Amino acid sequence: MRIAFILLLASSLLSRADENAVGRWEGTVQIPGRELLLIVDLATESGGGGGGWQGSITIPGLGLKGVPLSNIAVKASDIVFSIKSALADSNAGPAKFEAHLTGDGKLSGNFEQAGNSAPFALEKTGAPQVEPAPHSSAIAKEIEGEWKGGYELFGYPRKVTIKLQNRGAEGATAEFVIVGRKENKLPVDHVVQEGEFLTVDSHETGLSFEGRARKGEIQGAILQGPLEIPITLRRTN
Amino acid sequence: MKTFTFLFLFLCLTSAAQAQSMFRGNAAHTGVYPGVAPREFHRVKWKFPTGARVVGSPVMKDKVIYFGSDDGNVYAVDAESGRQIWKVATRGPVPCTPAIDHDTVYVGSYDGKFYALDAQSGAVKWKFATEGERRFEAKGLHGWQPKTQTFADAFDVFLSSPAVMDGAVYFGSGDGNLYSLDANSGELRWKFKTGDVVHASPAIVNGVAYVGSWDSYFYAVDASSGKEKWRYHAGEDQLVHNQVGFQSSPAVVDGVVYTGCRDAQLYALDAATGKEKWKFDNALSWVITSPAVVEGKVYFGTSDSSLYHVVEAGNGKPILKKEDKAYMFSSPAVTNDVVFIGVLNGTLEARDRNSGDLLWEFQTEKSKQNANWILTAERKFNVPLLFFDAWREAPLVSADRQFAIGAIFSSPLVANGVVYFGSTDGLLYALD
Repeated sequence: MRIAFILLLASSLLSRADENAVGRWEGTVQIPGRELLLIVDLATESGGGGGGWQGSITIPGLGLKGVPLSNIAVKASDIVFSIKSALADSNAGPAKFEAHLTGDGKLSGNFEQAGNSAPFALEKTGAPQVEPAPHSSAIAKEIEGEWKGGYELFGYPRKVTIKLQNRGAEGATAEFVIVGRKENKLPVDHVVQEGEFLTVDSHETGLSFEGRARKGEIQGAILQGPLEIPITLRRTN
Repeated sequence: MKTFTFLFLFLCLTSAAQAQSMFRGNAAHTGVYPGVAPREFHRVKWKFPTGARVVGSPVMKDKVIYFGSDDGNVYAVDAESGRQIWKVATRGPVPCTPAIDHDTVYVGSYDGKFYALDAQSGAVKWKFATEGERRFEAKGLHGWQPKTQTFADAFDVFLSSPAVMDGAVYFGSGDGNLYSLDANSGELRWKFKTGDVVHASPAIVNGVAYVGSWDSYFYAVDASSGKEKWRYHAGEDQLVHNQVGFQSSPAVVDGVVYTGCRDAQLYALDAATGKEKWKFDNALSWVITSPAVVEGKVYFGTSDSSLYHVVEAGNGKPILKKEDKAYMFSSPAVTNDVVFIGVLNGTLEARDRNSGDLLWEFQTEKSKQNANWILTAERKFNVPLLFFDAWREAPLVSADRQFAIGAIFSSPLVANGVVYFGSTDGLLYALD
């Protein structure tokens, strides 16, 4: 009976910790020579305590708005989360926050990015406003399938293959491969068709394809940062 | 025997003195520095403060160091003590490596003037007005937005450094000209017009001036008449104007011109004809460093790929390659057994000449402070925090932050076992 009571109490405390973590948090991180504004939104999928976590972060000084969080873990008053892909370093991995909920309702801890570390402090300012992840749409049946094309960048030829497929409620998915000196399989997180216009985004790599489907071709461009390189994709079969 | 020894020593000393009096050591720009060099770092012998970044390289004659600073001054500093002997104010930044010939210091300034100064006193002997200095610029440069707007290139950091030969001084200018002036009077001998900014430094060998321009051409010009002998067309980039232009200064050795280019190639051209002998591809990474060439080997570094290379002078075949941590704009100084090179992460490196292995490194205080987290903990450039916005002045602000961490653009001067170089932290360093 006593054990059951303790477990119940622990569960209740954990749930309260969850509830305490839920919200919009605002504050700053002080990196050398610069103060960055942080806006962190943390929520549970159920809306209250319990359930899986979701979150997003906005850092105006670094051009980040509503970027999804990953690896969110809440244990008692300790909260850990990472920024998905943005600010990631090839060696150190994703940018990471290790925080502690203090008695006065503040969230403070350490921000780690590219092996650098700096303290941050946040205060809850309201209900969470987690940015929804971009949702892929279904595509027309005529566009489904494999498309190929090529372009040249700074004198180097590149071959592009995009394989599009509808996946029911998930919307469409795509395999996006660019072969230059080596083969690059780009992780696609967003496929949208609006009328004749098709967009395939790989936000993690900063590379996209935008095109217009007409008469068995998709005429468009590969977008890579500031570069906009024309390309025509043709069906392979 | 005694006479022979004396003559040998005299020749060595004469050669050593000449080899430190202009950019890359001599008019051929070989980048080779005679004498001993520290294989171990012992101490900062002295630091000399200026009012702004020191991007150009120091030169030395008669135990006096001469260099320019972006604070607008040209300085003469005692090589032993680091004490100022004189300073002369120009009306613009001086990211230029001076040249010394006889008792005159020649140097250019962003005020659009080219100066001849008395080496003893700093007194202005004459000054020559070019058609005006400017940095390389282009619409949508490097992908900066909006792409129809013209931007000046924040990475066009150097001014052309003069070379002096047979009573004439040669230098390039942002006005697109290669100039030749009478070294004594400052009178114009000739000017040779190229299609864009000339901030590379001309090499003068066998009566020919060799220099590349931002117009994508490399030129060989008769040093007497200013008439073109040949030109070589390197890569172009109509998309974002990133992969175009000669910022690297050539080295001319044994009838071959070696030069880097922003089109990511290191070129070896026949000095007599301009015919390409070979090129070494650096996979879209600029070659800004001016190659050092000695004993059949070419030493150079790259920018984005941050690689230190040694290749065979005869055919461009790789001899060794070392991964570095950050971009290199500084040119390698090759000594008897050590190669010194500056890195934009605020580090000066000493590498074993044969193996390329790192012997020691010196990090500036600004680099250690790592303002704005421009560097990762490994001292690589922290790209997500460095260039995250291509709009308005953001790229320029980013470049300024990148340079503000004590970056070393300056090419090291090695003399009497001491390494001298400048940094964007505003200091000229002497290490031994």
